[in-house]
Amino acid sequence: MRVDEIDLLDLDAFAARGFPHDAFATLRREAPVYRHPEPNGPGFWVISKHSDVIHVSKRPLLFSSMQGINLQLVAAEELPTIQTMMLGMDPPKHSKYRRLVSGAFTPRTIAQLEPHIRQIARRIVDEVAAKGECEFVNEIAAELPLQVIAEFLGVPDEERGRIFHLSNRLIGFDDPEFQTSPDDGKIAATEMWLYANQLARARRTSPRDDIVSVLVSAEVEGEKLSELEFNNFFLLLAVAGNETTRNLISGGMLALLEHPRELRRLQSDPSLLPTAVEEMLRWVTPVAHFRRTATEDTAIRGQRIAAGERVVMFYPSANRDEEVFRAPERFDITRTPNDHLAFGIGQHFCLGSQLARLEIRIMFEELLRRLPEIELAGSVRRLRSNFINGIKSMPVRFSLD
Amino acid sequence: MKVIVDFDLCEANAVCMATAPEIFRVDENDMLHILIEHPGENLRKKLEEAVRLCPRQAISIGKD
Repeated sequence: MRVDEIDLLDLDAFAARGFPHDAFATLRREAPVYRHPEPNGPGFWVISKHSDVIHVSKRPLLFSSMQGINLQLVAAEELPTIQTMMLGMDPPKHSKYRRLVSGAFTPRTIAQLEPHIRQIARRIVDEVAAKGECEFVNEIAAELPLQVIAEFLGVPDEERGRIFHLSNRLIGFDDPEFQTSPDDGKIAATEMWLYANQLARARRTSPRDDIVSVLVSAEVEGEKLSELEFNNFFLLLAVAGNETTRNLISGGMLALLEHPRELRRLQSDPSLLPTAVEEMLRWVTPVAHFRRTATEDTAIRGQRIAAGERVVMFYPSANRDEEVFRAPERFDITRTPNDHLAFGIGQHFCLGSQLARLEIRIMFEELLRRLPEIELAGSVRRLRSNFINGIKSMPVRFSLD
Repeated sequence: MKVIVDFDLCEANAVCMATAPEIFRVDENDMLHILIEHPGENLRKKLEEAVRLCPRQAISIGKD
């Protein structure tokens, strides 16, 4: 593939074939800092190398998050909303907001959740085990992160389905199956805000042991969070803790099904799961890109980048960088070391990484034990997106236990 | 060399403790302690690895 044939805006291609690893192999080799054209704009820089993703991530003031976090240009009137979300903040503000909730996500705190998460995972597998077949994404992969993050936030059982559908509509902004119109994502956001507000009111009068209760009483520099800040905090945690882990579990399962030798290896020795989880993270990399915007003239690999230009980091490409990973195109559940960047790095490093790792490990422990003869039972349908590497549906069957 | 930690960034991921337990300890309250502020050359490799692997990129090496 030639560099000038690469089109990262062709979303139908993402839906049909998944992330274009071949195109990125070309970019890493021939144009690691590549100016990608776009029809109604000046174009954006595509960052494809592992070390360049780290370079950009480590300099949050030079490469700012405040002008938008996806590759497309953002209308000026939408920026204030984005900037009330942690994703759209720079330090020092970002650090102050993150500090409000980071204590709930440390490895030590998260490890305490293991028995409870296992209970939820068992219940999910129990539900399908007797059927002999199921739709993996919705019946298995989506359920665990949804239930865990809903509980974390304080969303009651009976309202979790609603959060699930809102989250799909919010993130599926390029997929007609999830959004009926271009405005649908905004409508979904508004519905999520209304819901968050309702929950906040309830927790203000009777606080519980959940994140919403923390957020309604939280203060940054002596000020309570505004309604918009609270709403967006809620929305970010609800979406980020949901969709990403779902896609990792689905994509990880698919990788194992496509590499039956690795699947058998893992089944015969489940103690390989910790490295297998890291390899699934590297292989799937659910978040395909985040964008920064240069705040002053700079250069990456000698390529001049002007202030105001968009710099887009493609994590799945960094995670197949030949300079960092031996035989990167091989799915190897014992790969060590495995310095993948699936969670990003630096200021915006995924807050929920430990929670995600725990959920994934437990889910696969249960799946491998309970559904040993699992296989694909139909075609895999992918999300139409260059932002999220997602699977929409994946029918599987398994022998009854 | 001197161990420098940006405590605004540190979130107790404890990767440094796994990489260089001689230098870093994360306690049961998720507080990071620098056990040796000026480690000897024999620990340079480990310290550099901790710098590289910190998810928040909160560690750096300064001059004495």
